Amino acid sequence: MEKRLFWERESVQKQVDSGAKKMTSEEIREKRRADRKQFKLDRAAAIAKVAAEAETIFETEGRVVVPALFGPEIPSGATWKPKTAESELALEQESGSPENAKSKGEDEGEGEEEEEPLEDMEHLQLTLPEAFFLAWNFDCLTILDPETDEPLSLPEIWITFQQIYLAPPIPTLPTPELQLDNPFLIHYAVYHHYRSLGWVVKNGLKFCVDYLLYKRGPVFTHAEFAIVVCPVYEDPQDQEVSITNLQNASPFTWSWLSTINRANSQVMKTLILTYVTIPARSRLSREMLNTPACFAHYSVREVIVRRFIPARMRD
Amino acid sequence: MLEIHPSYPALASVAEKYPTHRGSLFQTYNDILLAQQWRDVQVIDLGKCKRGALQGRRPRTAADADLLLHIVPCSLAESISLAWYDAEYVFAALVNPPSIYLAVVSDDSSIVYYKLSSGIVKPSI
Repeated sequence: MEKRLFWERESVQKQVDSGAKKMTSEEIREKRRADRKQFKLDRAAAIAKVAAEAETIFETEGRVVVPALFGPEIPSGATWKPKTAESELALEQESGSPENAKSKGEDEGEGEEEEEPLEDMEHLQLTLPEAFFLAWNFDCLTILDPETDEPLSLPEIWITFQQIYLAPPIPTLPTPELQLDNPFLIHYAVYHHYRSLGWVVKNGLKFCVDYLLYKRGPVFTHAEFAIVVCPVYEDPQDQEVSITNLQNASPFTWSWLSTINRANSQVMKTLILTYVTIPARSRLSREMLNTPACFAHYSVREVIVRRFIPARMRD
Repeated sequence: MLEIHPSYPALASVAEKYPTHRGSLFQTYNDILLAQQWRDVQVIDLGKCKRGALQGRRPRTAADADLLLHIVPCSLAESISLAWYDAEYVFAALVNPPSIYLAVVSDDSSIVYYKLSSGIVKPSI
């Protein structure tokens, strides 16, 4: 959603005249970064000034003053204020001519009104678990068959989404029967589990993990948890005869786990290994996979991984 | 659905030739052209490798604004081998550039870019 709004707002922004106060979130972020940079420059300059004063005092009077790194002379996060646009304009108007500044604003406003409305180039893309979650639990999504343009019924959606992962490389071969270790089922179980607990679940591609958990959403705060999905077969025999090559179903190497953990600790995220137990084929009937009722037989457990440094973590 | 998107005409020939890689090419093209705002963006057909690639230049305000850069899109589901550096493969098809960008596209349209260079290269600061 954020991506779509960004484009719309940016294009709308270009059409709004420069007098308006509205800013896009990207502009707000850039302004915040520029302000922070300016604050650091001002603070460094103030510290240098205090140090230079201490030097002159020593040279002239001979007494030693330790230059302070904080205090009334030096701006801090609480006391520093950025130079606002109004004060800058006021400075300009004192030196330059106010009439030029005003007429420039008017011309820009008129020029931009004549531009054509911009096309919306963004689309919202949902993953299969996300789409099924919305259609099944909130009934707020209609999914159309791409060939017939007809809405699919919920049972059809359920079967189709599983079959997507089973599609044979040669189209003439029949689709194999539904499997318990279908990646769609595993990922949907994890997605549904965390969504129903109130987390916002997003893709974890940027941090080498499967999912990221946000408290409110990516726009508000950084994710606190990084999820790696580890499927486990209740019956090891099922894994041997499986036609699906599930990621992380076999223990991964220690070096790989260590790499993911380090990468995520670096960005202040806690790594969670989410184990999804795939029920044994022998226990369930074939019809089980025709509805989401099969999830009653899956279990989801979490293990948190944290690096322990005995020398530093004594409490 | 893809066909009605305004970006489609530029990609049409390569996308139809290699339908497996159509999705990742489409996502990367839109990101590069519209979000990253690169200039002179063109779609290339890497015949032997059976996929499409993109070339372009960074925005005028960037550090290396005049360099022609190459991006090869791929999907998260694909397995890529280092054979890309072989004489017959991607690097060769792009006439041996010093480095290429690999764009990994996932299901929810997130894209992550990796820079692949020939040999050992110091990372830029």
